[in-house]
Amino acid sequence: METSSKQLVLENISKHFGSLVAVQGVDLVIDPGEFICFLGPSGCGKTTLLRIITGFEQQTAGDIIYDGNVINDVIPQKRDFGIVFQSYALFPNMTVYQNVAFGLKMRRMPKNLIDERVSEILQLVGLAAWEQHYPSQLSGGQQQRVALGRAIAIKPKVLLLDEPLSALDAKIRIRLRVVIKKLQEELGVTMIYVTHDQEEALALADRVVIMRDGEIRQIGSPWEIYKKPRTSFIAEFVGTSNFITGKKKNGNVQFGRLELAVSNINDTSSDKIYLAIRPENIERVDEAAPPGTYLPSNVIEVEAEVINFLGAIVRVTFILEKEEMFVDIPEKEFEKINLKRKGKLKLYFPPDAFHVYSEIFKKLI
Amino acid sequence: MYTRRYLKNLFNMNTSSPADGITTPYQVSATRMEIDKFIVPTVTIFIGLMLCFFMLLPLSAILKLSFFEGGQFGLANFTLANFQKYFTTSYTLNALWHSLYVSVATTIIVTVIVFFFAYAMTRTTMAGKTFFRNVIMMPLIAPSIVQALALIYLFGRNGLITAHLLKIDWNIYGATGIIVSEVLYCLPHAFVILFTTLSAVDIRLDEAAESLGATPFKVFTRITLPSAKYGIFSAAALTFNLTITDFGNPTVIGANYNVLATEIYAQVTNLYRFDLGATISIILLVPSLMAFMLNYYISRKTFSMISGAAKPVIPPSRPLKKISYTIYCSLITFAIFLVFATVIIGSFVKIWPYDWSLTLEHYSFPSIGGYSAIWTSVWVSLIVGIAGAFLTLVAGYIMETRRPFFKQGIYLLSVMPAAIPGLVMGLGYILAFNKPYYIFYGTPWIIVINIVICNFTLGILASISNLRNIDPSIEEASISLGGDTLRTFFKIIFPLSRVAFFQNFVYFFMRSMTTISAVIFLVSATVHLAAIEIIMLDNDGWTASANAMCTCIIVIVLVMLGILQIADKKTGKRSQGMIPET
Repeated sequence: METSSKQLVLENISKHFGSLVAVQGVDLVIDPGEFICFLGPSGCGKTTLLRIITGFEQQTAGDIIYDGNVINDVIPQKRDFGIVFQSYALFPNMTVYQNVAFGLKMRRMPKNLIDERVSEILQLVGLAAWEQHYPSQLSGGQQQRVALGRAIAIKPKVLLLDEPLSALDAKIRIRLRVVIKKLQEELGVTMIYVTHDQEEALALADRVVIMRDGEIRQIGSPWEIYKKPRTSFIAEFVGTSNFITGKKKNGNVQFGRLELAVSNINDTSSDKIYLAIRPENIERVDEAAPPGTYLPSNVIEVEAEVINFLGAIVRVTFILEKEEMFVDIPEKEFEKINLKRKGKLKLYFPPDAFHVYSEIFKKLI
Repeated sequence: MYTRRYLKNLFNMNTSSPADGITTPYQVSATRMEIDKFIVPTVTIFIGLMLCFFMLLPLSAILKLSFFEGGQFGLANFTLANFQKYFTTSYTLNALWHSLYVSVATTIIVTVIVFFFAYAMTRTTMAGKTFFRNVIMMPLIAPSIVQALALIYLFGRNGLITAHLLKIDWNIYGATGIIVSEVLYCLPHAFVILFTTLSAVDIRLDEAAESLGATPFKVFTRITLPSAKYGIFSAAALTFNLTITDFGNPTVIGANYNVLATEIYAQVTNLYRFDLGATISIILLVPSLMAFMLNYYISRKTFSMISGAAKPVIPPSRPLKKISYTIYCSLITFAIFLVFATVIIGSFVKIWPYDWSLTLEHYSFPSIGGYSAIWTSVWVSLIVGIAGAFLTLVAGYIMETRRPFFKQGIYLLSVMPAAIPGLVMGLGYILAFNKPYYIFYGTPWIIVINIVICNFTLGILASISNLRNIDPSIEEASISLGGDTLRTFFKIIFPLSRVAFFQNFVYFFMRSMTTISAVIFLVSATVHLAAIEIIMLDNDGWTASANAMCTCIIVIVLVMLGILQIADKKTGKRSQGMIPET
C-alpha cells in the first residue's frame, strides 16, 4: 500500500488560545477506511483537534496532510469532510429530503441524480418514509440518523463525528452505535469519532487515541488500551483500576505491611512504585486448588465492606492497608460463596495482573 | 438489502457505471468560494460607512457650527462664543433648568409608579395581569403628543374637567402639563425594564428570607429592592433621557415654559439661528449622553439572581394586598385609557367640550390637503420597516456569526444612535446634507434614512439576541457541506430569523409612524408626515383635527400589530408535529 494514498496525516499539530494550550504535539497517521476514536475527559483537546481537522479552527503549528497534499489552508467547504455534530445541526426550516440534499445542491448536482442519491441514503439509514418531514417532527435518534445521512450523501473522504450520541438516551445510544458501525464497515469510509464515553470508544473503534491535557497519551486497539494501559491515568479512565502505592524492596513491592510479588517492576527505575490492578483480575482463592497455584505472598484475606450487585458481576469493596479497593466476582460464582457484609474473603493478586507505573496521575475531583 | 459491493460502488464518486452515466465528479465551485472571501468584509465596510456617513457626519456638522466661528473648521475659528451667549441669555438658559427640572421630576414619578406596577405583576397573584401588562404598553403605539392633546382636552383652558366639571380657573399648561404627559409617555419604556428585572430576581430569595424570620417590610427593603437596584437605575436613566429629549409633548402643552428641545426648534425654525440651535443641541447632548452611558454601564454590570430553569410559583397574596394592588394598577391603566379615549372621542365630537354631536368633519383635513400626509407616512414607514429590519439583520449576522475586522468599531457605531437625541440628529441632517449634490435632501428619502439610523441600535441588538438562539453548529454544518456565506444566510439564517425579522419590521414601522423629534426638521413644503401634521394642526388651532390625525396613526399601528399577530400564529403552526417512536 502506498504511504500517501488517501491517508490523513497529522504532523506535530498544536493549538494555543493565548496562553492556554489546547492541543500539543499531536502526531497521527490515519489509514483509509479506519475507524478511529479520540477518547478523553472533558477539556482534553479532542474536540479542538477535530475542529482543526475540519478546518473550523486553524492550528497554531503543524500540518494536516491528506493524500499527500498539505491542506492547512483549504477552507472547510473544499475539504470534502463530512461532519456529524453533537446537536445534529439539522436545518429546522428544511425537510429531511432537503437536509440530505443540501450538500449535493451546493455541488450543483442535477435534480434527478439528487433524488436518486437521497432515497438511497435514506434507505441506508432507515428513514425512507420520513422524507417530507421536518426535523422537529423526528425523535433524537431519527434526527441523528438524518445528520449522518446528510454527511455521507456528499461522499466525504473522511467522516468526522463530534460526540454524536451524547444527547441521546442510553438504549438509543447503543442502537445507533450499531448503525454507525455497520455503516462504516459497509461504506468503508474513514471515520474519526470523538467521545468521552469509553464504552463507546472500545465498542466502535479499530484504534483508540487517548488524549489528556491536549496531548496524545496512547494509541492502540481497544484491546491494547484496555489490557496494556500505558499510563496510570489510562488505567483509571478506561475501565476501573485499583491503585497501590508502594516501594521496591528485594525485588518485590512493599505496600504497608504487605510484600507483593509483581512482574515487570524492573521496567521502572524509581524507588516509589504505583500499581494498578483491575477488579476483574483479582481472583478469589479456590480452596480446592492444588498447592502451588497461588503465590503465598500475594494471597490476602480481606473483609467485605460493601457488596454491590451489578447484574452480571458483583462488586465487593474491601479495605487493604487503608486503601479502598474493589474486586469483581462473577454473579454465578458469588451465588455459591454466600458472602455477607463483614464476611471474610480470601483474594489472590496474580503478579502479572499488575500494571506498573512510576507516576500517578492527579485525580480529577 | 444492499450487497457490500453495490455500496462500495455507491460510495465511489467517480464510478462510470451504466447505472448513473455520469463521469464528472461534482465539486463545490471554486470561484464561488473565492468571491465568498470578500463578501463579509465588503458588507462590513458598507455598514460601517453607512453609519459613519449618516450619523457621524451630521454630528460633526453640529459640532462644527457650535464650536467654530461661522461653521468653518480651523484652529483659529474655535470659539466658545455661542456657549457664552447661551449661558448669559436668561431666557435660553432657563430652558436648561426647565429641562432638568421636568426630567428629574418625571424620572422620580415614573420610577416609583412603574416599580410598584411591575411589583404587582411579578410578586402578587392579582387577577387580570395580562390585561394590565398590555395596557401599560399602549402609549407606544401613538406619537409622544397624544398625552398632551388629551390633557389639554381634559385640563386645558376649556378642559372638560377643569373648566366644566370643576369650574376652576387652573389649567395644566406649563411645567405640570409637561410632567404629566411625559410620565404617561414613559410608562411602557420603564415598565419593560423593571418587569424584566423583577421577573429575573428569584422569588425564592424572598421565601428564604421569610423562612429566616424577616418581616414582609424587611424582605422588601433588604431583598427585593436591592436586587432590583440596577433595573431601577436603568429605568430611571432611560426615563430621564426620553423626557429631556422629547419634543412633541412640550411643544403642545408647554406654552411659555420652554425646554431645551423646544428651544432648539424655536431657534432654528423661527429665528433661523442655526448656530444657536447647534449650541443648544450640544448642551442637550450632555445630560442625554450621561444618562445613556449610565444605562450602558449598568446593563454591563447586571447580575441576575436566577437559579434553576423553572419559573417559581408566586405564593398566593393576602386579599388586602391583592385588592390594594388591583386598585392601584386600575388607576394607572385608567389614566392611560383616559388619554386614548379622550383623543379618539375628541376627534369625533363636533366642538369639544360644548357640542357633543358626532361628526366626521375633522377627518377631512382640509387645511393640509387631505390624507396625503398619512399616505406619505405609511409608505415611508413601510420602507423604513423593511430597510431597517433587513439592515439590522445583516449587520447583526455579520457581527455575531463571523469574526470580521473592525467588529468592535462597528459595534460602537451601532450603539451610538441610541445616545443621540432625535432632535439633534434631525438638525445635524439639515446642516450636513443641505447641499445640492445630496439628492436625497428635501425628499422623503432623507427621512427614511434618518429614522432607520436613529432606531438602528435597538434593531441590531434584537437581531443579535435572536441570532444567538440559533445553534452555531447549523452554520458550520452548512459550511461543511459546501455552503457559502450568501447561501447560508438566505437559505438558512434568514428563514430561521423570520419571526425576529418581522418583529423588527413592526418595531421600525411603529417608530417611523410615531416619531416626531427626529423628523421635525426634515419635513418640508413638499414632504409631509402625519405625526408632524398633528403639531401643525394644533398650532393652527385645528385641535380636533389634530386628534383625528393622531387617531389615524393609532389605527394604522394597531392594524400592523394585528397583522404581526396573525403572521406569528401561522408560522408557529409549522414547527408543530408529533414525535413518534424511534
